[in-house]
Amino acid sequence: MCSYKNYLQLALGVLLATLQGMSQASAYVDVLDLPARVSALAANSPLSGMARAGDRLVAVGQRGHILYSDDAGKHWQQAAVPVSADLNAVSFPSATQGWAVGGDGVVLHSSDAGATWRKQLDGREIGALLVKHYSALASAEPANEQWPLLVAEGERLVAQGADKPLLDVWFANERLGYVVGVFNLILRTEDGGQSWTPFQDRTDNPQGFHLNAIASTGDALYIAGEQGLLLKWDDTQQRFAAVQTPYQGSFFGVLGKPGEALVYGLRGNVLRSTDGGHSWTPLKNGLHVSITAGIVDAQGNYRLFTQGGQMLVSQGFGAQLHLVQQRAPTPVTGATQSADGALVVVGSRGARTLSVE
Amino acid sequence: MGHTKQETMPVIRDLRDFDRHSGNRLERLVFNYRPLFMLLMALATVVLGYMAATRLELRPSFEKMIPQSQPYIQNFLENRQSLRGLGNSVRVVVENTQGDIFDPAYLDVLKQVNDQLFVTEGVDRAWMKSLWSPAVRWTEVTEEGFQGGPVMPDTYQGKPEEIEQLRQNISRAGIVGSLVASDYKSSMLIVPLLDKATASGQRIDYHAFSQMLEEQLRDKIEFAGDSAARKAGEEGKGQYKVRVIGFAKLMGDLIDGLIQVMMFFGLAVVTSLIIIYAYTRCVRSTLLVVGCSLIAVVWQLGIVAWLGYAIDPYSVLVPFLIFAIGVSHAAQKMNGIMQDIARGTHRLIAARYTFRRLFIAGVTALLADAVGFAVLMLIDIPVIRDLAITASIGVAVLIFTSLLLMPVALSYVGVGAKAAERALKIDTRAEGHKGFGKLWDLLDRFTTAKWATGAVLVAMLMGIGGFMVSLQLKIGDLESGAPELRADSRYNRDNAYITSHYALSSDLFAVMIKTAPEGCLNYKTLVLADRLAWELQQYPGVQATASLVNAVRQITAGTYEGNPKLNSIQRNQDVLNYAAQQASVNSPELFNTDCSLMPVITFLKDHKAETLDAVVGIAEKFARENNSEDRQFLLAAGSAGIEAATNIVVREANRTMLLYVYAAVTLFCLITFRSWRATLVALLPLVLTSILCEALMVAMGIGVKVATLPVIALGVGIGVDYALYLLSVQLHYQRQGLPLSQAYRNAVSFTGRVVGLVGITLAAGVVCWVWSPIKFQADMGILLTFMFLWNMLGALILIPALSYFLLRERAPEPGAVAVAENTESTERPGMSHALTTSE
Repeated sequence: MCSYKNYLQLALGVLLATLQGMSQASAYVDVLDLPARVSALAANSPLSGMARAGDRLVAVGQRGHILYSDDAGKHWQQAAVPVSADLNAVSFPSATQGWAVGGDGVVLHSSDAGATWRKQLDGREIGALLVKHYSALASAEPANEQWPLLVAEGERLVAQGADKPLLDVWFANERLGYVVGVFNLILRTEDGGQSWTPFQDRTDNPQGFHLNAIASTGDALYIAGEQGLLLKWDDTQQRFAAVQTPYQGSFFGVLGKPGEALVYGLRGNVLRSTDGGHSWTPLKNGLHVSITAGIVDAQGNYRLFTQGGQMLVSQGFGAQLHLVQQRAPTPVTGATQSADGALVVVGSRGARTLSVE
Repeated sequence: MGHTKQETMPVIRDLRDFDRHSGNRLERLVFNYRPLFMLLMALATVVLGYMAATRLELRPSFEKMIPQSQPYIQNFLENRQSLRGLGNSVRVVVENTQGDIFDPAYLDVLKQVNDQLFVTEGVDRAWMKSLWSPAVRWTEVTEEGFQGGPVMPDTYQGKPEEIEQLRQNISRAGIVGSLVASDYKSSMLIVPLLDKATASGQRIDYHAFSQMLEEQLRDKIEFAGDSAARKAGEEGKGQYKVRVIGFAKLMGDLIDGLIQVMMFFGLAVVTSLIIIYAYTRCVRSTLLVVGCSLIAVVWQLGIVAWLGYAIDPYSVLVPFLIFAIGVSHAAQKMNGIMQDIARGTHRLIAARYTFRRLFIAGVTALLADAVGFAVLMLIDIPVIRDLAITASIGVAVLIFTSLLLMPVALSYVGVGAKAAERALKIDTRAEGHKGFGKLWDLLDRFTTAKWATGAVLVAMLMGIGGFMVSLQLKIGDLESGAPELRADSRYNRDNAYITSHYALSSDLFAVMIKTAPEGCLNYKTLVLADRLAWELQQYPGVQATASLVNAVRQITAGTYEGNPKLNSIQRNQDVLNYAAQQASVNSPELFNTDCSLMPVITFLKDHKAETLDAVVGIAEKFARENNSEDRQFLLAAGSAGIEAATNIVVREANRTMLLYVYAAVTLFCLITFRSWRATLVALLPLVLTSILCEALMVAMGIGVKVATLPVIALGVGIGVDYALYLLSVQLHYQRQGLPLSQAYRNAVSFTGRVVGLVGITLAAGVVCWVWSPIKFQADMGILLTFMFLWNMLGALILIPALSYFLLRERAPEPGAVAVAENTESTERPGMSHALTTSE
């Protein structure tokens, strides 16, 4: 009898284990619905962008990683993030309010200086947003031929799903901001991300090139893009107007200060303008690798970083760039100077602090 | 004291007085047709010798070392055709010890190596990679799109600007850490091997391939022709060093090691000659004993070759064991015959007497050995099964050679008269408490209260202490590098150099993701592969992971002009298809042709059991949670994957095997002794030895692995022989009414010398493996030597001591008495009777 009982127990156990196994084999969870895993490796894994929230550094990267550091990059803590999509850029217009964007059209918002994040938008909604916005415009202005085209664009996005990565984000203040992405994708908010307005009709980008970066020089707002595309916000026209440059390769970023702008991109190309973007001069630097990040440091010097990990530094106004050799260079995709002057960079190997000479 | 003399058999000086038709049928068959028997034996020896000489192969086989029916291994074997990246390749590193790779002279040397390998048969030329391969290319995103070219400039002539160009290309190609060492002092040639050499359709001869590497590359480049230094295992003193790792090289080195171990056989033979001569002091019989045992080995090898088995690093040990067991059995026969001859019995009759007394005893002892071997059949690892089969064949052969051929041969040659007298005298002296008698007196004291208590207490303490230590016994290999070879072997030094100068280790653990055709390109599959890789990376023992996902991410970024923000998995199937199409050109090893299988490869920092267990645990959990109809996550491929599977089998087998071997031996003892108390007395010393053996493994840093599994089974199976010899005689006398002390004394003076002889010849047979260049053979040598000697000591000391507690002055159980008496009266050729008369 005893052995029967044992067998029964065994059979029951096997059954339970099987059931459990079946229930455990849970359905696939999309990256937009799967919270980022907390990992000790996050600070040494690919990171793409970084910003300062007051004295705090906030960096974003692959797999929904958002890290923040209150000691100039010595120690990092991982924020709670509701998605595990790759994140590309982050912007903090104030010490507490910040936005991050990334793959699959995801837009995240934090109101506690980067410690916790909430999703405001993702690629599954962007198509519908376009359709709604441009359909309304199309019915208001039936004569304008561009609206049906943009509606069609929106329908394509709906069909393709959360397909389009956002590449950069820039907020002027806690309410006004832009997110930009591939194939001329651009959205604007005036209410801190509560609602987003498609802005594709406000760019001089007829070929629909990728919009790689958006940044302000203090006196102008630029978008840098694919194949020599450079756009500058024209307040009177209320649109991003094309700026002619002598380079036809892609730009990965733009930066500057009032009266001066630098745009950088493929194969060591850097262009400088001191007349509000009317004329651009190439800055020779001898490099052939792509320049992928740049900052204006506390002294007002430009520091540009390459995919090979080199750093170019300008003295005073950026007429000349000097190569500064790095020990054990690693690719850099984002850079920031902390409040105490430390130069912190992020890239495919995570975050690290560079010595400032 | 008359008991210690040989059991009475009439002394017959003249053959005519002997009844040819006495004895059992086997005896009559063999001894009455001696010439025919010898002829058949000679014929068998010639035929099997010819087989051994012509058909025997050295063939360490990769498949045979892995547990074939373990689910991970089955997954691997089912999919191995699709796992090109984990396939069979050799990595050759050429190091410039006085400069770096940007040296025209170095590049010339590298070209020589490259060209030599390129023309070597068995090399899959199309996929060979080195700085000189046109297939090793750099690519760069430019304004016009991708641009690229071979890393080695097409027009290379050694000019400084070309070297500069090479330097740039290497950096653009991103091959630092893979093809170029991180310190730029060496570069690597990745040489994939074909399963079959194209020209002949034959499998690659690893030994010849390895030999080619040594003679064509290492001799010329590293040693400047000084192959003696190379063979001595030194490193070359030249400017360039050639370092080679890979399965083929490992196999080549194992075969070299095997050949060396076979040389040790000569050493074992010489040692046995010395031991037997010391025992018999008779050249004739010494040669006969060793000769018969050698014939056993020839037969064993011949049959093994005939049946199509090959000698591998495990089964090469069987001849040693068979030889040693054969010698100890033959020596016993010799002793009996000598005593009869010394008393004046004709040599043929003496041989027949010995046959009568010892044949059944010998068969029983061999059966006990066979139990140890047979239990190994239960382990699901082909090399161990082969070891069990070939050893069983050897034991069967011993019945013919040591038990039949030996006495018949002796009946022709006889023994030296002096030696015969000496044999008789030793026993007479022992009876008079002289010579060996002193030792027997000493051992006899263990049957007294004080000594028995002391011995049992010490044994218990050792047992408890040993047990505590043995709790730390680890499964698997505990050192880095190729576990088959010693840590300081050239191969492992090369391996250490390569792992420290290149980015990735050689301990690969791969999870195979199986999907429908084209399924590996599915967005969800790639995301899950990425998640699995990330889960695995969380474990600190994981250095890095690689899979199609890495390539897809990189190529996707490349299509966006290298924008690092697009280093991503896109949902768009066209983007993924393009990425995979590109990946199939650059790294075809990342998925199979119809894209239904992709491995997620993990590079581990070592292959210790903890590391493997942890990685298996992570991968299993992930597989459980994510397996679906569309995609299955299958463990495991790669060297570490196979080792993890082997560890799982070994851990399981270690327990079951101990259980079975003890169950078998217990049953065997119960049948032989008909007494559970006696069985306990026989087994407890073995248990102590088993525990101490495990403690010794902990102390010496030897893990439980394929090679050490058989040791305890063999140790227990062969170790029980001692107890069989001693206890059966002791019980015989106790059942005749002698007190324990007297019974043990009789037993030890009969069989003590045999026990010692067996222990020493067995130990001598295996001790030389300690010098084997193959690490696990050395481990086996140490452990078996320990088991054989310690079991012998345990038997001589603990049997009397335990008997004091369990078998003292106690009337044998009624049943046992009945059987024992029955045995006596009907001349049932039982173990106890037969052994009583063994000397």
